[in-house]
Amino acid sequence: MNKTTLQLPPIATLGPFIALLLACLFFATQSERFLSAQNFSLILQQVMVVGVIAIGQSLIILTAGIDLSCGMVMALGSVVMTKFASDYGLPTPAAIACGIAVTTLFGLINGLLVTKVKLPPFIVTLGTLNIAFAATQLYSNSQTVTNIPDGMTLLGNTFKIGDTAIVYGVVLMLALYLLTWFALRETKPGRHVYAVGNNPEATRLTGIATDKVLLSVYVLAGAFYGIASLLSVARTGAGDPNAGQTENLDAITAVVLGGTSLFGGRGIVLGTLVGALIVGVFRNGLTLMGVSSVYQILVTGILVILAVATDQLSRKGAR
Amino acid sequence: MTTHSNAPIVMQAKGLVKRYGQVTALDGADFELRAGEILAVIGDNGAGKSSLIKALSGATIPDQGEVFLDGKSIHFKSPIEARRAGIETVYQDLAVAPAMTIAENLFLGRELRRPGILGSVFQMIDKKKMLEESIARMNDLKVGIRSMNQAVETLSGGQRQCVAVARAAAFAEHVVILDEPTAALGVKEGNMVLELIRRVRDKGLSVILISHNMPHVFEIADRIHIARLGKRAAVVDPKHISMSDTVAVMTGAKSAAELPHQALAH
Repeated sequence: MNKTTLQLPPIATLGPFIALLLACLFFATQSERFLSAQNFSLILQQVMVVGVIAIGQSLIILTAGIDLSCGMVMALGSVVMTKFASDYGLPTPAAIACGIAVTTLFGLINGLLVTKVKLPPFIVTLGTLNIAFAATQLYSNSQTVTNIPDGMTLLGNTFKIGDTAIVYGVVLMLALYLLTWFALRETKPGRHVYAVGNNPEATRLTGIATDKVLLSVYVLAGAFYGIASLLSVARTGAGDPNAGQTENLDAITAVVLGGTSLFGGRGIVLGTLVGALIVGVFRNGLTLMGVSSVYQILVTGILVILAVATDQLSRKGAR
Repeated sequence: MTTHSNAPIVMQAKGLVKRYGQVTALDGADFELRAGEILAVIGDNGAGKSSLIKALSGATIPDQGEVFLDGKSIHFKSPIEARRAGIETVYQDLAVAPAMTIAENLFLGRELRRPGILGSVFQMIDKKKMLEESIARMNDLKVGIRSMNQAVETLSGGQRQCVAVARAAAFAEHVVILDEPTAALGVKEGNMVLELIRRVRDKGLSVILISHNMPHVFEIADRIHIARLGKRAAVVDPKHISMSDTVAVMTGAKSAAELPHQALAH
């Protein structure tokens, strides 16, 4: 009974912030262009697609799952929405809705295979990763869709705060983060996501329909990938069948760097935003330093392993 | 506490049969639980005690036989139905969500929601009220844990078990079923849980305690149900029987008929 009630934030909560600050400090010393409002606005713009994908990924990882298909599903969504608008002349909102419907459908398929057929998420999404990739290539003939209506790139437009141009998509991403963070923290379904990740059997025995929680998480993640599709189209001005390849692993990296445990049930979605920013800062900083992109991939790989190791070690400490 | 030989029967089972393929786990088992008692259920491995408990808590459906709650015949299809009927079960090792707070664990699956549209449409939970209620319920059971806002994983094993038992006690209307609640706990921690189980009984709830720990069983049980070969071998009164005789009945070295009359509980 003499347990201390003083609760220091665990390293998993503060660690990502410290890592982000250290990374910024480092790159500030390496390049004078790094520390500028313009550059930070650019980093935000560069992370907005992966940032929104990573929200969906966070939800899934919180339930102790994983989604390897996220980036490919996003690419399929962007090809679908652009082709529906350019080839079939669908009105922009309808085309966007169709793209989001397709990514949500993929989420539903992932979720049904995980909950009804009881397959491990890793295998399921490895399968849908390939299916989504093939579907994207076949449907687009591996051609980038460039003839897209103006309405579809609205989120890529900018507004100014002082001299700094900020992309609307970034604002959308931040809003989605806040909304998800709030829902996970303050609502009943949100808490059930944590409970399922923490102890699925105990959660089921309290009468919570754990399969329903899991299924809605996968479906919701699919919807987030659809919004990311739209952001990707808005940012690049095209429906790119080869998009999503770096985002696929970057999203998982962002979640893990953000302090969410791969074992489920622990983590804060705002940490994922920090994780996405860490990935973005490294990419941006190394580019400014003139380091080749292969080294950037190398650094990302090392970062993930470091983050998972920290997660594993801090869990052992808590036992 | 004296044996409640005249207390009304809360839960009863007659002639339960459960077969798993060639194996007969329950072979016409009877069971009676009286109001406000701690009934220990003991038995060797394979004696049918866990099958009995599963049938009572809705985790399995018996092939034959009947279960009564307050005199009414009941047919649970899941633990959730049993819970709705006022029977709470604490499963061994499966009780809590470790990274969530004590208050959240107490209310897991029955979260209190904010009043009005915030609760009904937006499903927002009322953290403040859940915290206050948790403090009240834990005080009621005299569980001395300082902060209900700490994660369950920061607690010792005994404290965690206390949280699980307290949750069951706080929401049960009739019966609390505890599966090996003191297993894997040290002496001091085990006693802490035993104390809590007594207080749960003293609140007026009936407790079914499955345990392998004979000293614990003899310390707190009002009556002991001995399961053997899928049947009820005897119900004994721990005040009038020795531990060695109890074990003898459990292992089949002695039959109930060989026991002195006062050793049997009614």
